[in-house]
Amino acid sequence: MKAENINPFIESVMDVFESMLECEATMGELSADAEESTTPDIIGVIGLSGTAQGIVALRLPVRTALAIIGKMVGTEFRSIDSSIIDGVGELVNIIAGSAKARFKGHSISLSLPTVVRGSIYKLNNLSNTVWLTVPFTSDLGSFFISVCFKSVTADEKEGIHASVSR
Amino acid sequence: MQVLVVDDSQIMRKIITGGLKKLGVNDILDASNGQEAVDLMSQKNDVGLVLMDWNMPTMTGIDAVRKLRSLGIKVPVVMVTTEAEKEKVIEAIKAGANDYLIKPFNPKDIKTKLEKFLHIQTG
Repeated sequence: MKAENINPFIESVMDVFESMLECEATMGELSADAEESTTPDIIGVIGLSGTAQGIVALRLPVRTALAIIGKMVGTEFRSIDSSIIDGVGELVNIIAGSAKARFKGHSISLSLPTVVRGSIYKLNNLSNTVWLTVPFTSDLGSFFISVCFKSVTADEKEGIHASVSR
Repeated sequence: MQVLVVDDSQIMRKIITGGLKKLGVNDILDASNGQEAVDLMSQKNDVGLVLMDWNMPTMTGIDAVRKLRSLGIKVPVVMVTTEAEKEKVIEAIKAGANDYLIKPFNPKDIKTKLEKFLHIQTG
């Protein structure tokens, strides 16, 4: 995966924060790992398929998830409930949807988002890819966006599903 | 004049509804898929604007727009979606949608659509 392939996702995160949360998200240093290793508490995952395949994972500490979804809805949340789960799924959907429109020359479809809770899990990447992870800080808390991504030939075009194992 | 918010995501309905209320629109209906929206619109005649998600179970937003138009219901429909590609916009307009609001959006974007289709000055 070319490092530049994560740029549409970084731009999307910043756009979502500016537009919907009226808050600036500041990116940290990009890292590349064969396995995704940091394990915050709640993770929104969405698969990409089409002329490119990949997985996008938005990984949030509980406190950040509560603050972000609370700001989006205009309500204070004190604990994880169905609104937070729904909200994290919607958030990763918007980020990935906004990013796919920024990829020129690719026709990409999104899977339905999945939200996973807990801190003991391993997020498997696609074969022949690595996770590119960017940490962000904001007034609503810190979080990570991780992406594994590869272009595919016409013969390889088939849907992929994000794989999470505990 | 009512506004109908159609989205399968409860949280998204809350976000849009919250945005409408901040703009002074309090007469709001909601539906969680295209079929519910069509059923509601077939019974209601005081809806002035529909804010319609694209990807929903049971009936998608684009199919709901086609159905509404086939029933002769001409209420303005704004697609509210992450489907930002030009081909998708063209598909929506051809299906009978009147406008497009791409997620992520901010409250000003909703305000613009309200003023355009309901001809009201919002707060």
